[in-house]
Amino acid sequence: MNSIRKVNALALFLPLALLLAPDQAWALQSHGATESIYVHQLAHLFYSAALGYLFWDVGRNAFPGKGWRYLQIFCVLMILWNLVAFSGHWLGFHIADSDIIHPSGYFSSQITGPLSAIKLIYFSATLDHLLSVPALFFLFLSLRSLYRSSDEAEKK
Amino acid sequence: MTSLPLSPAIVTDMVGSLFIIIFSFLSLRYAWLLTRKQPENFLWGFLFYFCMTLAAFAISRAIGHLLKHILLFSDKQELWQTISPISGGTNTLLMISLAAVTIYYHKGIEGYQAINKKARSLKEAYDQLEVAADQLQGMNLHLEEMVVERTSELSASEKKFRNLFNNSKDMVYFSDSTNQLLTINGAGFEMLGYPVQGAPALNLFDIFKNETDLDSYYETLLSQGFVEDLEVEFARADGTGIHVLLSATAVYDDKGLFIGCEGIVKDLTRIKTMMKQLAASEKMASVGQMAAGVAHEINTPLGVILGYSQLMMDDFAPESEQGQNLAIIERQTKACRKIVADLLKFSRQSENAREDIAINEILLDVIAVTQHSLNMDHINVRQDFAQELPLIVGDTERLRQVFVNLVNNAHHAMEKQGSGDLTMITRYDPDTHTVVATVQDTGHGIPDKIKARIFDPFFTTKSVGKGTGLGLSVSYGIIQDHGGQIEVESPVINRQSGEKMPGAAFHVKIPVMLVEAASVHE
Repeated sequence: MNSIRKVNALALFLPLALLLAPDQAWALQSHGATESIYVHQLAHLFYSAALGYLFWDVGRNAFPGKGWRYLQIFCVLMILWNLVAFSGHWLGFHIADSDIIHPSGYFSSQITGPLSAIKLIYFSATLDHLLSVPALFFLFLSLRSLYRSSDEAEKK
Repeated sequence: MTSLPLSPAIVTDMVGSLFIIIFSFLSLRYAWLLTRKQPENFLWGFLFYFCMTLAAFAISRAIGHLLKHILLFSDKQELWQTISPISGGTNTLLMISLAAVTIYYHKGIEGYQAINKKARSLKEAYDQLEVAADQLQGMNLHLEEMVVERTSELSASEKKFRNLFNNSKDMVYFSDSTNQLLTINGAGFEMLGYPVQGAPALNLFDIFKNETDLDSYYETLLSQGFVEDLEVEFARADGTGIHVLLSATAVYDDKGLFIGCEGIVKDLTRIKTMMKQLAASEKMASVGQMAAGVAHEINTPLGVILGYSQLMMDDFAPESEQGQNLAIIERQTKACRKIVADLLKFSRQSENAREDIAINEILLDVIAVTQHSLNMDHINVRQDFAQELPLIVGDTERLRQVFVNLVNNAHHAMEKQGSGDLTMITRYDPDTHTVVATVQDTGHGIPDKIKARIFDPFFTTKSVGKGTGLGLSVSYGIIQDHGGQIEVESPVINRQSGEKMPGAAFHVKIPVMLVEAASVHE
């Protein structure tokens, strides 16, 4: 009996001993900086796919009213934004630190020449708000239209 | 161009971030208003969560971008390098959440559509129930009126057929499969001589006088389903028979089983009487023709016998034996000629006078002539004459002879009993436009078995030598000659009480010219 109790006590002690000596966290996988950008890029793709699905399903259900059409426009613009953002992030890997200079402070930042296609596309990608702001504007129009339609339907 | 300035991108990024926050929150506000307005609408719920996540993403991203620009402006790159992963990670997380909310939207929409479908189905069921309830309410409202209306129609219909049943002059009956009579109308009870109230339960066995007739009736009913114009004799309550014409139809139940019958019975007594009268009339006509022929043939030799006997009487003294014999021959020959003359009167071969006659005057004359002899036998004479009777056209003498004959017969019927009443009645029957004169006595009456023969020539119940049997025959001929009828009734039925009285009544009916009848009524 005593020998069994001793084995049990040992079995309990060993894991605790490991916790007390975390020199090497064997159970944890290490995540480097590259992984975060991959996750972020996958999130863009996932978000694009979700918006694509929303666009398709709204069309499939043929919900009546302008509000739903605005929502579909929002989906298209946001998908484009995702693609632009995805491209921007991806091209970021191909832009060296020396390609961007700050001659007289941050606001004077420039992309140095000679200008390649990658640099030009990267520059365009930095203007992603030209897509995301209209997209959000259409989302706003969509919800306002849906609200007003429901208001009118109630009055009828 | 050797370089690209990033200042437009920085400006666009900062301004755009502000707009993103503004639009995302405006969208969130409308989404919230929609959920407040229709909390049960799944789509608004989805849009609200979508906008909320988007707003969170917008804030995270915009703040991250603004912070980046601010820190870089202020040359704090190290701090930004520290914050950047947090901001980027949050953005990634919120973007994934946004995508997840969108992706899982379809599950919600399926559930919502299923609920909507169920709700629509329930609403349709509710609407149908509401319509049904309205209809039911409408039916309830009108049910009482409909019941009253239908009851009224049914009552009217029942009353109509009840009246037909009750007021029918023919017997109407319903019987079951055992020929037990279930229902009989009043005319039926009257025809059978039973009281309407308290009549015994009757079976067709009780009222069919001949069992073979009943068998024939029942067999025909079962085989053909109906009986048409079956002439049978019914037994009345008093045991007498009554000839009837019967039509009946079998009644079957839903399974086609015979359960009884419904029938109509017509009393043939009147038709039978008429047929008897017609037969008697034809018989009397033929007898009259024969009598006329015989009278003509006998009249000639009688004339010769009378002539020769009177010639021979001149040759013998009346006191002599031959003279007395010839006187007997002459008397008997004259008697024979009187008989022949009566026969000719019966056969209407004699000539008639035509004049306007007041029948009451004739009856008064007859009473005057016969009253003395009637009084001798304690017979009271009563008069019940209608005033202002219309005149009839005919031969006064011959009609007087008719009533003398009738009075003599009445006298003869009552003389043995030593007393009696002789009543003479006159009246006008507007239905037949006839004057009816009745000679009624309280004598022994006329048995049924000889009723049909009393108008036959030479038929008499008197002892030999008291009558020739030509009185009623001659009277019959005279009345026929006046276009009338002579009817006998024995026993006499009281017209007021309906009781049967002993004796006999002879009703002489003589038609009146319609113009004259009209003048009387005016």
